Amino acid sequence: MPWKDGYTISDEKSLTDGELRWPDGKRCCVAVTVDLSLASGPRGVTVADLQNSSAIFGLHEGIEHLRALLERFAIKATVTVPAAMANILGPSIKALHAAGHEIAAQGFKHEDVSELSLEAERERLDLTTRILTDVVGQRPEGWYSLPRPGDPFAVGTISPNTMDLLIDAGYSYMGNGLSDDIPHYWVTDFESRRAMLTLPYYYHFDDQFFLMFPAKGTGLEHADALFANWVAEFDAQYKRGRYFNMTLHPHAVGWCNRLKLLEDFLEHMCALPGVWNATGAQVARHWLENHPAGESLRLEASVWRDYPGSLS
Amino acid sequence: MSDAGQLTREIETLEAAAKSYDARYEFIADFAYPEGTQIAVNFTCDFDAMLFRRFLNETPMQLAQGEFGGRVGIWRLLDLFGSHDIKATIFTPGRICELYPQALVAAAKGGHEIADHMWEHHVPKDLQLEHDHIVKSTRAIESTVGKRPVGTRSRHTHSLLAEEGYIYNSHGSAAHGPHYIRDADGENCLLNLPFHYAIDDAMFYNFAWLSSENAAQRITDPDRVLELWWAAFQQQYRQGGYLNICLHPFVSGRALRIEMLDRLIARMKTLPGVWFPSCEEFARYCLDAFPSRGPNSHTEESR
Repeated sequence: MPWKDGYTISDEKSLTDGELRWPDGKRCCVAVTVDLSLASGPRGVTVADLQNSSAIFGLHEGIEHLRALLERFAIKATVTVPAAMANILGPSIKALHAAGHEIAAQGFKHEDVSELSLEAERERLDLTTRILTDVVGQRPEGWYSLPRPGDPFAVGTISPNTMDLLIDAGYSYMGNGLSDDIPHYWVTDFESRRAMLTLPYYYHFDDQFFLMFPAKGTGLEHADALFANWVAEFDAQYKRGRYFNMTLHPHAVGWCNRLKLLEDFLEHMCALPGVWNATGAQVARHWLENHPAGESLRLEASVWRDYPGSLS
Repeated sequence: MSDAGQLTREIETLEAAAKSYDARYEFIADFAYPEGTQIAVNFTCDFDAMLFRRFLNETPMQLAQGEFGGRVGIWRLLDLFGSHDIKATIFTPGRICELYPQALVAAAKGGHEIADHMWEHHVPKDLQLEHDHIVKSTRAIESTVGKRPVGTRSRHTHSLLAEEGYIYNSHGSAAHGPHYIRDADGENCLLNLPFHYAIDDAMFYNFAWLSSENAAQRITDPDRVLELWWAAFQQQYRQGGYLNICLHPFVSGRALRIEMLDRLIARMKTLPGVWFPSCEEFARYCLDAFPSRGPNSHTEESR
């Protein structure tokens, strides 16, 4: 780059469209994230989040409608689960896993960890890994920290230590970054090039920000804009040969006309040749092999100068 | 208790405030384009990437969102402008020269203008430090792209800008067309190329923009913005007006929005007489053809 600690997480320029390689000569990659967390804000999943009719819909009908629709289009998704909901969702996530969907971690309670000490965060992270491994019967490969509707920003929260802790814990990827629209490396140490593979996320393709956002009853309903964004981004990325991710919440997109819009979108997408649908873990394996950090990360030393009265 | 004298003084204070502020503005009543030109459209990019997010001490993921503008967005916008032979203006904080020098050099090589957007995307309150920031930003841009900036998008003090040779600002929306603004003393006149928040990508696409609350989010799809901006363009086109389209590379550099801008530009180009200059080129035309008539000229003419 010119690298700058505390500012940049990767190199100066993304890979160009022409540099990308997808398996079997496929044209572009599509990853679908299904977020099963019901957390409404930074505190993570609360009793109130679980005790309302929308939660019940999400846990039963919503998830079933979504599962059936994905199956109809042979889409394999990555399902993100907070450890605190792993047992609540036990039979559902076991069935989703058996059907070929990936189960990934979404934090302990899907809470904001940015104020936690390194040790406290490590403890929660390790406990989360253990709980999900027990329920699913397989260790999670991906970690997500998706935004919640009550967050001040729509990007997800991590602490300054999260990426390092995920590397230590053996996760192969982090599921929601915003610095690129293809997988990219989140560098935690410039000298050693220690880095975490990060998959792209963008809130314009996340159902929750368009469907009764920020709250049921008082929020705004823009299902049409959500559908338009999915189509516009997918078409543009398909043309470029890049990557498209959509994030879905069963309690939101599973309802009625919204489900029909998702169906229409999947019909549009699946009609095109050369689309590689992959889970986050499959994307990570492909990327680490075909675009390893040593080859694709082009970091340059910082040229930043400190001055009195300026940022450091 | 009501005091007629007190109430009258209140009105007088307000009237004096309105009058003195109004006197700082000088409009160009007889503005016209050269034969054959019907409208000037300035594409302007506010290229702060993650710098302002960092200044506000926002979260790591908010910074990452800004980083998209430097790694990806700016390059796509440069490709888009290049494919349409449009000369854009990149308003950049001087600090960006230390983060994304390749992009700025490429933009300058492509014939685009690199202008100032404050050293670190804010104006220090202390006048001496403000001067220091203007000098730093100007020098950083000059040494990176080999040309001294003459334009800014900022609330910098006019006298300091004039000292460093700036000829125009692009800020605020006091009129549809180019106009002049003086400082409070009636001195240091700068040409202003107005931009309006309604023609600013972040207003339609960016979550929590300018600290807006969750219930006030305006995130929408590109087709809706395309029609709004097309209507804005047509309205100005009919009357020989001006349009300044403000884009943030971390917002408009997203693939779906590049596609939308491509369609918008293609539509504009179906009409004759659409001029896509850089802000500097347009500013020099205005300064040359319609120079300021001096202090108080606006008041004399329009009252």
